[in-house]
Amino acid sequence: MTELEAGRAETLVPGRGVTTVWERYRDILIALIAFAVLASLPLFTGSKALLDFVIRCSAYGLFATSLNLLVGYTGLTSFGHGMFFGLGAYSFGLIMQRLGVPIPIAFVATLAITAVVAAVIGAICVRLKEIYFAFVTLAFQMLIHSTILSWASFTGGDQGLRGGIPRPVFLGVDLSNHIHLYVASCALLILGLLAMRQIAQSPFGYTLRMIRDNAARASFLGIDVWRAKLTIFVLAALFASMGGMVMALFVSGAYPEFAYWTISGEGIFINMLGGVSTFLGPMVGTVLLLLLNDTVTRFTEYHGIVLGIVILFFALGLRKGLLDFVAEWFAHRREAGEGR
Amino acid sequence: MTRTRRPGISRRSTLALMGAGAMTVAAPWVARAQAKTIKIGMPTILSGRVAQLGTSSRNAVMLEVEKVNAAGGLAGRQIEMVIRDSKGQPQEAARVARELVNTDGCELLIDAEASSGAFAVHEVARDLGVFCIHTNSETSALTADPKQHIPNAFRTARQGVHDSIVGGSYAAAIAKAKGLKKWATCSPDYAYGRDTTAEFTLYLKRFAPDVEIISESWPKLFQPDYTEVVTKILQAKPQALYSCLWGGDLTSYIDQANIYAMFGQMEVFAVNMADYTALTVVKNLPKGIHSGNRYIKTFPGTPENAAWGDAYKAKYNEYPTNWSWENATAVMLMAEAAKKANSADGKKLAEALAGLTIKCPFGADGTVTMRAEDHTLVGYAIGWGTTIPQEPYVPEVKAGDWKTIFELEAEWKKSKGYT
Repeated sequence: MTELEAGRAETLVPGRGVTTVWERYRDILIALIAFAVLASLPLFTGSKALLDFVIRCSAYGLFATSLNLLVGYTGLTSFGHGMFFGLGAYSFGLIMQRLGVPIPIAFVATLAITAVVAAVIGAICVRLKEIYFAFVTLAFQMLIHSTILSWASFTGGDQGLRGGIPRPVFLGVDLSNHIHLYVASCALLILGLLAMRQIAQSPFGYTLRMIRDNAARASFLGIDVWRAKLTIFVLAALFASMGGMVMALFVSGAYPEFAYWTISGEGIFINMLGGVSTFLGPMVGTVLLLLLNDTVTRFTEYHGIVLGIVILFFALGLRKGLLDFVAEWFAHRREAGEGR
Repeated sequence: MTRTRRPGISRRSTLALMGAGAMTVAAPWVARAQAKTIKIGMPTILSGRVAQLGTSSRNAVMLEVEKVNAAGGLAGRQIEMVIRDSKGQPQEAARVARELVNTDGCELLIDAEASSGAFAVHEVARDLGVFCIHTNSETSALTADPKQHIPNAFRTARQGVHDSIVGGSYAAAIAKAKGLKKWATCSPDYAYGRDTTAEFTLYLKRFAPDVEIISESWPKLFQPDYTEVVTKILQAKPQALYSCLWGGDLTSYIDQANIYAMFGQMEVFAVNMADYTALTVVKNLPKGIHSGNRYIKTFPGTPENAAWGDAYKAKYNEYPTNWSWENATAVMLMAEAAKKANSADGKKLAEALAGLTIKCPFGADGTVTMRAEDHTLVGYAIGWGTTIPQEPYVPEVKAGDWKTIFELEAEWKKSKGYT
């Protein structure tokens, strides 16, 4: 671990070792408050667009944060993470359309399918490093995308899954109701984030950071690097798949664009915008990107130029994501305050 | 010291109060005047590879909306279009459509999306129950499949299966007359290319049973180099070639096949050739390519159609596209339906629109009909002709017979299990 990163880890987890009750349950408490705030939003505003926005944030946020488990925590820059987003959307949509099972069963079945596919693809990919890893994941993504396109009798080809995804009521939850869908999306987002936070803060999460910083050293300490990488690859795929399911429910369908490389590109871009060294960086990036996208497309069809300029600003100006920038600024101020 | 400021209400406050009073009195009038306009939302593709088609959709809609507004609007309400880019992504199309209805207060939708985007907007229309006309998706299943049917959605685009029936019968007649038995196909490798080619050969063989397909090529969509495809076809030595390549793909294919003098060696049937976006871009347009009409101002050969094409050209300095007439027809139908229903309410419009026949420059007999049973447009001008290298490009178009189309379409629907 470099000095800079060691310092960063300290700011992330202040006073590790002395664990008080507050610290142990802090994340859960924050999650509960966040969920309460989000879920009570419809009581204060009738804006359906705002609710739509939060639903989309849930889908992209789960996807981007799971990508950060690979990019930021393990140092695996995947260019093909979008395949699991698409896989989730398609598996869920197909199961609901063809089998008509209750939604929770389809949800669990989709996660199981994703886990199997991710384990197979991951077993091949995680042996590779850096650019090789990036490009082999990209190749698998294009394989899945091409399969969706050419297997038209099953997937509907380039027209996508047509006819809508049936959403039968389960346990009193009716996902064809906008408010119900909204609350369910928020719940999935918060649960997903909490689970990912637990993974990141667990000993396993710290193993991942060590692998990122020095894989050879981890290996000498007796860690099975390949197995750890494969585990996080599969776990990240599961959360991306959850994001895909939220998106499939939102548009009531699944389209080959969900498995195209541009989705992976958007994930990387979100991570660049928000920052990869803090847990919530990708979430901030998601909100930023969707806000930018929605406001800019309202006013001009030349949104490409605007987004390009924003990327340039972050890449050349800040040289890091927004939350990274803020976190460093605070750390700097604290140091100045302590007179160091 | 003299006080210039007297106590009491100053002139400024008085003016302000008067202004506020006037606003209060006038507010309901202003509000009523605003409520009189009706907003129509339109998601379409304004960026990326097919932006030209999306722009031509917008142009055509604006041309027609101006006319409707000048004539008093939609049941007395002036139309305000809210047009937004979906980038050709279905999830964006769905988002934009929802935003248009939920945030911008659009009461009606014109969905100018292609393929998967149209299905995404269709689901939004199903969810929100908003009146919606699909103007660009030619995929037959969108209206033919009863699972897709909802009372508030319509389609004013041509339909794939209509094209195949007319193309198949036209090509079969020429195959018989010229003895063309060996055929090759060359179409883009995605659902539209595969389905359209399969349907075309189905009807070709039905009308000319001794036709044989000896070679098939499936270049990728947006492929830049067609050398291998061209040489493969030349080696197979077919007597005729069918292709449903379109837009930039078709023009680069023709430019590259010209180098091998392909068009002198076989009869070529390219369904998407007779569109100005292709006709005006090809470097040396070969004489005698058979093509279906997309939009061409000489077919139907009526003064109304020519005038419409010229008016569009005069306003936008380019010719309309296939998507232009389809979008213009949507506005024309809405205007007539609003007259019939004497209302711009979505539900009433939908009721009035089902089964409505209107006068239209793009009709085969001067009228088009919104068929009541499956909410799709019928009776539009559809035909095939051969090209010449200069305007009018396709001088004579042989019109398809709608009676045959209806018969075979019903049969096709049955074979698909739709009826």
